[in-house]
Amino acid sequence: MKILVLEDDNAIGSYIADGLREEGHSVDLIADGADGLVQATVGSYDAMVVDRMLPGLDGMSVVKTLRATKNLTPVLFLTSLGGVDDRIEGLLAGGDDYLVKPFSFGELSARIMAISRRPRTEAEPTILKAADLEMDLLHRRVTRGGQTLDLLPREFALLEHLLRRKGRVQTRTMLMEAVWDIHYDPLTNVVDTHISRLRGKIDKPYETELIETVRGSGYRINDV
Amino acid sequence: MTPVFGFNQIRSTPLRLTFLLLTIFALAALACLAVAFEVTRTSIDAAVAAELQQTINEYRGIRDGDDLTERLAEAAAKTDADVRILFYVPDRGSVVSNVASFPPVSGVTVVSDSFIRAKSGSVSDSYLALSARVGAGHLIVAQSREQVEEMGEIFLAVLLIGLLPALLIAGLAGLWVARGARIKIDAIQHTLLELKGGTLSARIEGVEDQNDDLSGIGQEVNRMARAQEALVASIRQVSSDIAHDLKTPIQRVAVVLDQVMNKTTLTEGQEELLSKAIRETERIVQTFQSLLQLAQIEGGAVRDRLHSVDLAEISRDIVDFLEVEAEERGFALSLRIQPDVATCVRGDRHLLSQLIGNLVQNALTHVPQGGPVVVGVTRTGGETVLTVSDNGPGIPESERSKVLQRLYRLDQSRTTEGNGLGLSLVSAISDLHGARLTLEDNKPGLTVRIAFPATEPA
Repeated sequence: MKILVLEDDNAIGSYIADGLREEGHSVDLIADGADGLVQATVGSYDAMVVDRMLPGLDGMSVVKTLRATKNLTPVLFLTSLGGVDDRIEGLLAGGDDYLVKPFSFGELSARIMAISRRPRTEAEPTILKAADLEMDLLHRRVTRGGQTLDLLPREFALLEHLLRRKGRVQTRTMLMEAVWDIHYDPLTNVVDTHISRLRGKIDKPYETELIETVRGSGYRINDV
Repeated sequence: MTPVFGFNQIRSTPLRLTFLLLTIFALAALACLAVAFEVTRTSIDAAVAAELQQTINEYRGIRDGDDLTERLAEAAAKTDADVRILFYVPDRGSVVSNVASFPPVSGVTVVSDSFIRAKSGSVSDSYLALSARVGAGHLIVAQSREQVEEMGEIFLAVLLIGLLPALLIAGLAGLWVARGARIKIDAIQHTLLELKGGTLSARIEGVEDQNDDLSGIGQEVNRMARAQEALVASIRQVSSDIAHDLKTPIQRVAVVLDQVMNKTTLTEGQEELLSKAIRETERIVQTFQSLLQLAQIEGGAVRDRLHSVDLAEISRDIVDFLEVEAEERGFALSLRIQPDVATCVRGDRHLLSQLIGNLVQNALTHVPQGGPVVVGVTRTGGETVLTVSDNGPGIPESERSKVLQRLYRLDQSRTTEGNGLGLSLVSAISDLHGARLTLEDNKPGLTVRIAFPATEPA
């Protein structure tokens, strides 16, 4: 993927750029907002990482201007500590997701992948599959190898979220936001507990594990 | 507002003073009237007695016995017994009088009508009588005391139409003045309670441009509160300034640690140490995040974003999320939502879920032995009330207002995790929503009760 990073802090900017390059992306790093806007307009990017505070032109204005010119490149906003307001403002300005510094690289990477591959507007499937696991959304039933599994509503929701994003890493915060709509850091490993309970039902009795732990990032469900 | 003349107001100082002054005034007025009445009565009686004496002296001047009897009979015949009674008992012969009978008296005596029998017509209620030896017999001359009685009536009238209305007017005026003072005292008391409860913006209204003593006290209280508020504001400013200044270096440290973790090959021991450093950094970041978030919430900008949200639904989500953690740690987290009532409040979903989450996690952290933790949503008197109850050690009454202050922690909880900002955030979020937060005794344990103002259902 071709990714544009607008970040004025040298250390953090190169941390992001280097990390993304290592993952095989092509990255342009720019520290000034006005220059960044020009670059975003001429280059065609698959995703952008934009810091809220930039010299020249602030990140919000960059994205607002882009959106006004019908440029729909997915944008992940970065912001300094401290905001409740910022998140909503960023999303209203046309950002697709929002990340508070400091963040782990895994979190950033997973979120960029998530916004750059937004589910296309195709007919909603009624059956989700991963290997021999099947989720029937109409009858709210889950089977593995033909055997019906008894899931609690929240376990069902968690599994559905992972299945819909098969092959993509979902971080703990992403799961928390999507499944429970919780947007603060509860400083606990509750998500891990939820995952381990889900695993107890869908993975433990079987030979292959479907839910994979991605070190330093989160979880991913795989076809095998 | 409490009724100004209610029973419990009897204890108020201004009202007591009013009643005391009224009583003194009434007693003094009554005493004056009584003395005046007595003096006047005595002088009237003295004048009457002198007149009686003179009448007797006149009859004594008549030497001839027959002439005396004749003169007395003549006088008795034309004297109205209602005004004056003549009663002559000669040593020999029949009584000469204008009444049928009269009791024997000696000296000046008051005689009531029950001892007198009238001949015809009526007699007065009471008489002042004087008897003396005149000629060859005893003469009693008695003068009606109607004058004295009339005077008594006049005094009673003075009392009824003069004193009682005056007392009534003075009483009402006193109550009015006492009410004014009472309102000010109530305002001062109320404001002091609010200040004590941590509402540093509380001020006493309507005392600034007045110069009575109570207003003076009120002005002093206001001055004190202003100073206190400024001090607290500057402490807050300093803590959020520090957080702002340290933000960038902390972000960089976090980045570097993450890079070391992911980009270098580490021995198991090194990795463990690094993980510890990362966890500690996360805690620092979280503390800073909380401090900055507090500053932002207290700044009030979020207030514009509030809209109708369902407190029951938010509680359900957060309980659903934290239930497994509670279970792992030996707690039974449950939800009690009053059925069939409106549970919507004007609020911010994310902040409210943080509020409930903080309260639940607070219970999980501070109750050492585990047990039930209940999140409740009810509707009482138009308010939607959120409660989070545990059966842990609770918070002593004296510490309750302090725990809501920033970074305050009870001594016994110094050893447990947390940065002391959880309850401050809860308190700030609750204030932002215009809700009332109280800490109550769950007997045993703690109940945190947050009452949200009434709203229209969405």
